[in-house]
Amino acid sequence: MEDTKPTLVLDHVSKSFGDFTAVNDLSLQVRAGRVFGLIGPNGAGKTTTIRMIVNITRPDSGRVELFGQTMSTAMQDRIGYLPEERGLYKRMKIGEQLRFFAELKGLRGADAEQRIDAWLRKLDLFNWKEKRTKELSKGMQQKVQFITAVIHDPDLVILDEPFSGLDPVNVELMRDTILEQKAAGKTIILSTHQMEIAEKLCDDVCMINRSHKVLDGKLREIRRSFSRNAVALQFQGDDGLLNDPALVANIRQHGDDTEVLLVPGASPQELLRRLVEANLVITKFELVEPSLHDIFIEKVREVA
Amino acid sequence: MRKFIAVVKREYVQRVRSKFFVVATVLGPLLMAGFTVVPALMLGIKSGGPTRLAVVDQTGKMYERVAKELTSGKKTADDDEDQPPDQPPVGSNNPKERVEQSGKLFRANYLVEQVPLQGRAIEDIRKDLETRIQNRELDGYVVLPPNLLKEGQAEFRARNAADLFTNNYVAGAISSAVRGQRLAERKIDENFVEAASQRVQLKTTGAGGTESKGAAGFYLVFGVGFLIYMTVLLYGQFVLGAVIEEKETRIAEILFSSIRSFPLMMGKLVGVSLVALTQLGIWAMAFLIFSAWAAGGSSIRLPHIPPVMFVYFIVFFLMGFFIYATVYAVVGSMVTTTQEGGQLALPVVLMLVAGLYLSFNIIRSPNSSLAFWASMFPFFAPITMLVRIVTETPPLWQILLSLGIGFATIVGLVWLASRIYRVGMLMYGKKATIPEVWLWVRQS
Repeated sequence: MEDTKPTLVLDHVSKSFGDFTAVNDLSLQVRAGRVFGLIGPNGAGKTTTIRMIVNITRPDSGRVELFGQTMSTAMQDRIGYLPEERGLYKRMKIGEQLRFFAELKGLRGADAEQRIDAWLRKLDLFNWKEKRTKELSKGMQQKVQFITAVIHDPDLVILDEPFSGLDPVNVELMRDTILEQKAAGKTIILSTHQMEIAEKLCDDVCMINRSHKVLDGKLREIRRSFSRNAVALQFQGDDGLLNDPALVANIRQHGDDTEVLLVPGASPQELLRRLVEANLVITKFELVEPSLHDIFIEKVREVA
Repeated sequence: MRKFIAVVKREYVQRVRSKFFVVATVLGPLLMAGFTVVPALMLGIKSGGPTRLAVVDQTGKMYERVAKELTSGKKTADDDEDQPPDQPPVGSNNPKERVEQSGKLFRANYLVEQVPLQGRAIEDIRKDLETRIQNRELDGYVVLPPNLLKEGQAEFRARNAADLFTNNYVAGAISSAVRGQRLAERKIDENFVEAASQRVQLKTTGAGGTESKGAAGFYLVFGVGFLIYMTVLLYGQFVLGAVIEEKETRIAEILFSSIRSFPLMMGKLVGVSLVALTQLGIWAMAFLIFSAWAAGGSSIRLPHIPPVMFVYFIVFFLMGFFIYATVYAVVGSMVTTTQEGGQLALPVVLMLVAGLYLSFNIIRSPNSSLAFWASMFPFFAPITMLVRIVTETPPLWQILLSLGIGFATIVGLVWLASRIYRVGMLMYGKKATIPEVWLWVRQS
């Protein structure tokens, strides 16, 4: 799985608009059958990167290679794209709308019709097929938009903020659908601000900040490398022993948790032993791996 | 190609099915009929019964004739210059004639009385009549001075001096009466004079004996010019709307990730144009059926025009329509709202009007170099080339060249529009300035 040929390769890609450099010398590889997270703060260059991948704009320099070939118009049909700026024709019926987008992706006739019905059923929208866009709730429109991205069964699906505006039930539905796509061997690029979701879904992550790549790799490895020797605690009793500077570097209250950052080289085991010796009632003792959220913030601050 | 057709289909089906289209298609002809018929009817409504006029005849011999002319309702001032009977009706485009035509509707409605002089001073009589006008017993009075026949001047006092119909009518009646009297005094037969002043009818044929396509074709050229103008004004807005639609709904990004911008723009243009042609077609059918019905089953007198002319008319109409429609597409690609677009497109549409004016010159010298260049310039060609074809058909290569230039212009403009559209769209900007647009065109 890990050694499969990359679906997508960006090779030293740059793009500027006038004086503004949106993407600077970006290289990355997206492997087939994996969920690839493209994260970064607003204005980092994510959307421009995606637009170059789907051939809306061309890079000033560098190369975008898809399925081993240089990107071209002909290959657009193998990509499904859910842009961040959502848009559907307000007055068109959902069914017609999907048929139009399917035709734009090269599908037609009975085949298109069949897929549309299948997807509408799957996402609980079948009863809305003859309704117009403006009659739908925002979440429903979002799901319709998602269908336009996958209706032609593309090998690469690019989803820009697919969860925004969805209620928890639909977030779950969307998540399952994305995982199904992955299981079917599709490659998925996910761009989002919602780190908790990215954390649960992504296999690989690439983080961009200020038009540069700042982080790239397998999510598991990234998290391990950011491990900071921290422990989340819940206990009752005197916390005086946490003030030992030989062991503890920093303490932070995190909801009910007390997050204890140990000095480099100190063993969490030693902390646990002392807590037990002090006769405290321990209800939680957990080694903390930094969340993607923390890594994100740390990285953004680092540059700023 | 299949994607292009998908775009055309969507633009066409969505618009033709809209309520607006159905309503406009049905109401259009009604409105047009309304605009021509209703004003005439309204002008024709004369409130308050017949117009009461008093005549003060100081000549002592003119009352009979004037009263007869006034009540017979035969003449207006300009009727002396009778038109030849065959002239095609152009009346409705000429405001003056329209007023007269409407005036004819109620011209017989005059009550005339003679004011006896009985040796009274004219001032007393005037005072009397003024009082009666104020008391609304009279609408006006005419004074025929003693030297009317010599000097040809009379006076008309009316409560409503702005009433053009009555003014015109009274003037005509008096002129006619005076002429009759003058002739009679010289013992000349009036009927003979009338017969003698019949206008000569000029039958024009082109040099070499071929019958001129002349007047009828000429009117058709202006018809086509006007048709292009109306169609462009009407449907240019639709093109504008179609191009802007995705900007307002933010769909462009999906479109661009699926189809190149040129076929997209072309598809929109063709789709909307087909809508326009559908509507025009329906209206033309309705018009033909209506006129056939109005003609009461008798065959309609179509202007005699060789069929090849009709082909030219249709071809140049289509070219004109598409050229100006693409202008709207270019404009639409630069702006974010239809209102802005309408303002921006106006100067270009004025070029169409300029073409109409140029054609007056070209009619007189259809082979001048001005005529040649005007008929090659794509924004004028739809009208100017037609004028040349009708007046003195230019060599075929010129016609084809003109069409070729027009076609290239359309493609070029669509290309330009698609470029601006693509880049401008993704910038999500406000309205673009011209230098920005240049940058975009080079950039994308």
